[in-house]
Amino acid sequence: MKRQIPNIAGVLLLIYLAAFPLTYDGANYDYVMHILITGFFYAILTASWSMLAGYAGQFSFGHMGFMAIGAYTAGLLGHYFYLSPEATGLCAETPFFGQWLVVVNPIGVTSTTLTQDCLEQALAAWDGRVQVTPMPVWLGIVLGALMGAVAGFLVGVLVLRLRAAYLALFTLGFSEILKATISAEINVTRGQAGLEMRPLFPDGITLFGTHYAATDKLPPYYAMFGLLLLCLVILAWLAHSRFGLFVRALREDQDAAAALGVNTVRYKVLVFTITCAMAAAAGAVQGHYVQIITPNMLFLLQMSLVVAMAVIGGIENFVAAAIGAIFLQVMLELLRNSFVIGGVEIDMSVWRLVFFGLLLMITLRFFRNGLIVPVIAWFSRAGVAEETVAIRASTLTGPEGGPHRTEAPD
Amino acid sequence: MIHLKVTNLHKRFGGNHVLNGVSFEIRGAELIGLIGPNGAGKTTLTNILDGAIKPTSGTVYLGEERIDQLQPYEVARAGLGRTFQVTRSFRRMTVLENLYVPALAMGGGFGAPLRDRAREVLEFLTIDHLRNEYAQALSGGQQKLLELGRLLMLDPDVIILDEPFAGVHPRLMEVIYAWIRRVNEAGKAIIIISHQMDSIFSLSERLLVLNFGDLIADGHPEEVKNDPAVIEAYLGSDEEEEA
Repeated sequence: MKRQIPNIAGVLLLIYLAAFPLTYDGANYDYVMHILITGFFYAILTASWSMLAGYAGQFSFGHMGFMAIGAYTAGLLGHYFYLSPEATGLCAETPFFGQWLVVVNPIGVTSTTLTQDCLEQALAAWDGRVQVTPMPVWLGIVLGALMGAVAGFLVGVLVLRLRAAYLALFTLGFSEILKATISAEINVTRGQAGLEMRPLFPDGITLFGTHYAATDKLPPYYAMFGLLLLCLVILAWLAHSRFGLFVRALREDQDAAAALGVNTVRYKVLVFTITCAMAAAAGAVQGHYVQIITPNMLFLLQMSLVVAMAVIGGIENFVAAAIGAIFLQVMLELLRNSFVIGGVEIDMSVWRLVFFGLLLMITLRFFRNGLIVPVIAWFSRAGVAEETVAIRASTLTGPEGGPHRTEAPD
Repeated sequence: MIHLKVTNLHKRFGGNHVLNGVSFEIRGAELIGLIGPNGAGKTTLTNILDGAIKPTSGTVYLGEERIDQLQPYEVARAGLGRTFQVTRSFRRMTVLENLYVPALAMGGGFGAPLRDRAREVLEFLTIDHLRNEYAQALSGGQQKLLELGRLLMLDPDVIILDEPFAGVHPRLMEVIYAWIRRVNEAGKAIIIISHQMDSIFSLSERLLVLNFGDLIADGHPEEVKNDPAVIEAYLGSDEEEEA
């Protein structure tokens, strides 16, 4: 029973989070929902990174790069691709299942170039007679995840021979190149000005008999929460399959795993592909939720935050890492509240990151497995030591009980 | 019948010729000792046999299959398993999980048969009571037993044991001796690399001696023991010992 407590607690937490937006009615509802949606977003990133770094031992610092690939794939698809019943005659276009797939020309960010938008010109010429349809949001998310998977596969192949610091530097370099490219290609990506994205549910959605507008927080809450659950289910399935066993063997000793018949190349590439797809899907959903994406999402600080969340939760358990992410996201917001001690005001807008840094340092120094993993292990491995001692005692050799055969005498 | 054929194996690292045309064959379930001084090329030969490094020239056949250009996991699946000089258990995985890895890599599935087989192996190795402990909780000797257990789960035709007795207490050595004899009687060919001459001479039916990349002797332990070239290169004479 004691070993099941983490599972029971996990299910209760999930039920609480699932019911929370329906039961919470505070005046700051939108703000609280936003914090939790962002927490779920980071939870997906940390859980998938935990599988990559904690389970498989592949310390990639490019995870935010894959997240950005998902976000920008969805963003660029929504920004440049439309379906039209008639050919514009101005844009690049091709017949597509009875309609025209229109690709809008890149025009950059300045107001003087806006008149060069071929679709705008066509719409003006049609004068409302023809309606064009943007690509569905779900398609952008699916394609974003697929692009993340492809990029993860390629990077996984490239880093096959790299380990430890070399792998970390390679993936960091990949992420930095991506950030520089997005920043530089202003005409296509709009650079630092950011690429606007449509809401997750552009026309709103009806849930539980209530219609929610595009700007309401409840639908994106469940969208991100659902994606988190999906990722956790997939990760749990993987962790308990031969995949999980093999990637952990890969982490422990790649050469020994190979000598025991494990195709280490295959599993190294697979773990990159799967976890990067998850990061990319999270990026695409988050992009549609906040409705604008910029290269700033690739700042090293963002990656550091994901690593810190995973470390504080527990890097070798993706559930603990996900809980750590949600906990830290909430805590970082709570720490924004300044307070007064003995007449001295502590301005938490300045000091909150110091507290965060201190928590990280304390965790690294005293809780190498994070704050949550030891608690889970305390329950899930309850009785193992006692069981070992009991079996050993029952198999003692000699009439008066000598040492076990594999143990040296004192 | 098992047939490992090594032909004219050369390996160079830059200007360092580590193996100079080593050739030998293993026919059937032989129990072979491989000895030689440090730098003789024993570990390089082992690494070539298990696919970790590729030879400069020469071939290795396991049965009809050429294995010298295969990846280590392919060599393992072809039927050649090994242990390492320094024990390499999966430290943050339980003892049972350590045993599951090779069995699942060979295509087996989870379930009661896998667990029962692993338990049987652990009982034979006398470490069944540690099955749910992390491997890092095991002593050095117990980790050596765990490595042997993993080989049983891999079930290869040819087994290379690299220094299986190094740093092992006599009680544990009894278990390892029993393991070697049982596995050999079950039809597996075993190559033991060791500097412990007593163990090598008491276990081996045949000895291979490497010296600076050359195979200088290949025969029955008693013959090899008295081979002047081997005495000069490795064993040393009684007079030298007395001096």
